[in-house]
Amino acid sequence: MHRSLTQRLFAHAVLLAGVLFLIVPVLLVFAASTQPTSVLVAEGLSLVPGRHGLENFRTILTLQAGFTDQIIATDMLRNSMIVATGIGVATTGLSLLAAYGLVMFRLPPAGAFFWITLATLLLPLESRFITTFQITSYLGLINTHTGMILPAVMVALGTLFFRQLFLSFPGEYIEAARLDGAGPVRFFVDFILPLSRERGGAVFVVSFMIGWNQYLWPLMISTDERHYTLVRGIRLIGQESGPGMALVVLTILPPLLLVILFQRWFLRALEETRDAF
Amino acid sequence: MAQVELKQVRKTYPNGAEAIFGVDMKIDDGELIVFVGPSGCGKSTLLRMVAGLESVTSGEILIGDRLINDVSPSERDVAMVFQNYALYPHMSVRGNMSYGLKNRKMPADEIERRIVDAAKMLKIDQFLDRQPNQLSGGQRQRVAMGRAIVRNPQVFLFDEPLSNLDAKLRVQMRIEIKRLQRRMNVTSIYVTHDQTEAMTLADRLAVINEGQVEQMGAPMELYSNPRTLFVASFIGAPQINLIPVSFDGTHLVNGDLKLAGFSDLPQGTELVLGVRPDVLRVDAGGQFGMNVDLVEQHGGENLIYGSLGGTTTDAGEPLEICLKAAQAMLPAIDDQLTLGFDPDTAFIFRKDTGERLK
Repeated sequence: MHRSLTQRLFAHAVLLAGVLFLIVPVLLVFAASTQPTSVLVAEGLSLVPGRHGLENFRTILTLQAGFTDQIIATDMLRNSMIVATGIGVATTGLSLLAAYGLVMFRLPPAGAFFWITLATLLLPLESRFITTFQITSYLGLINTHTGMILPAVMVALGTLFFRQLFLSFPGEYIEAARLDGAGPVRFFVDFILPLSRERGGAVFVVSFMIGWNQYLWPLMISTDERHYTLVRGIRLIGQESGPGMALVVLTILPPLLLVILFQRWFLRALEETRDAF
Repeated sequence: MAQVELKQVRKTYPNGAEAIFGVDMKIDDGELIVFVGPSGCGKSTLLRMVAGLESVTSGEILIGDRLINDVSPSERDVAMVFQNYALYPHMSVRGNMSYGLKNRKMPADEIERRIVDAAKMLKIDQFLDRQPNQLSGGQRQRVAMGRAIVRNPQVFLFDEPLSNLDAKLRVQMRIEIKRLQRRMNVTSIYVTHDQTEAMTLADRLAVINEGQVEQMGAPMELYSNPRTLFVASFIGAPQINLIPVSFDGTHLVNGDLKLAGFSDLPQGTELVLGVRPDVLRVDAGGQFGMNVDLVEQHGGENLIYGSLGGTTTDAGEPLEICLKAAQAMLPAIDDQLTLGFDPDTAFIFRKDTGERLK
């Protein structure tokens, strides 16, 4: 399609505006993390970096905060990692298995199971806090990482993602594998796993980030400060302070790195995979 | 290598739809059998039942002397070539060919030996480390065949393997498949809807219509001695001329068209006269008048199409017929030709049952 110069300029202007809208707050946070608290309080946020960056980061990495003064940023980082990785791994693994079962073994109720699974999207965790809390409490999972992970696992979305991928596999090719002696388990290992790698990477990144950014549920389920995650810990340090901003940066970094790392897979998973067959 | 035998094989789908109505068939060792028929006739279903990809509702399928109704596909000792090649997209050509053998726990050196042999035979040895999406259609087809060959099965099953190739490649691969099959002498079943492919490949072919074998025999036997109207109309290109007629005791009649030379046919029954385009000839003493409306020049021969004088179809149009003539015979549009044929070379069928009377 050939576009005129004005059309292209306009398109770029729109894109640029979008980029600025998304990136300026992040830049403000990065700049603020290098300012001393006094400057932040007196002058507010600015895009000009200060000279207190190292100091701020040293502070948050060693600061012992909280009611018991035992909680430090590295512990919170570890908790966040455990919870987000757990949610990512459980979501990816369970959805992969669920979609495999739904698509490849077409039992009569498979369709119904799929729609029931999908319908859970209409009931996000926030809408069922009380019952979920009760169940978690019965199971004795209050103040545990497992308790933070399990209710936040997003099987519905992952199953949908993988199901669409599996439906695009031509039937002949599953039959060829059957003739080659691949049973259900072998087919899963030799075909489903390698062919879902990119889609799986995308599902993992998305669920990892949602898990990482969880706030309300970890807040409800953990009373013990040793289970605080980074997102929750920002409040402990104080958002308006220089070290607080450094903690925000620390919170942004791991998901950012993950997205950069998985970017290739992520984009490829969203493209048509069908032409590979 | 083995014979394949089907005994009263039936297929009824769980929703009650019947696909195969009692097929009996014996395929000899090393024979290449083609299942041919229009789409939806059940030919692929029957093949897939032999492969084990469809269950058998009733009847028996034997490979060698072994009843395989309930044997899993991978243990039937058959190899199949699919229409879309069905190559594993994440494996190299070598990976595709070795996968089935590895699952059978074959030693690695034996696998490699077989792959190299098959690849040489199919001229794909320089592609062994490529991925399927780096290959052309014809090359993929060869890999699919290679994957079947390395298995060294008792039976090859081909499910319309050439229909995704362009016309030229299709002819080339057809010849190659025939040569390979001769050379390896493996019992083969080949499914196609293309009658030329069927005629040229088959040792014997089975014409399948609505879940039943209409006729089975050598290609030329089916061509020159069809048992039913369906077989006559399906086998042969260009298609046989079919002229609805009735018998008045001495002549076959359609409108003003009267053809002498027939006897002992039922009167008062609708009949169909079948005349192949290549037995029709231009003959001043003939009984047909033809008004030419199209000439196709195929190089060595011409196909002349036109309306048959004096006849009408149900739609009120004159009947279209086709004549196969030599290269030199090149009439102009709207030329009138007089045609004749030897009544012994024509077929007469009952219109209602399709049964051949003569």
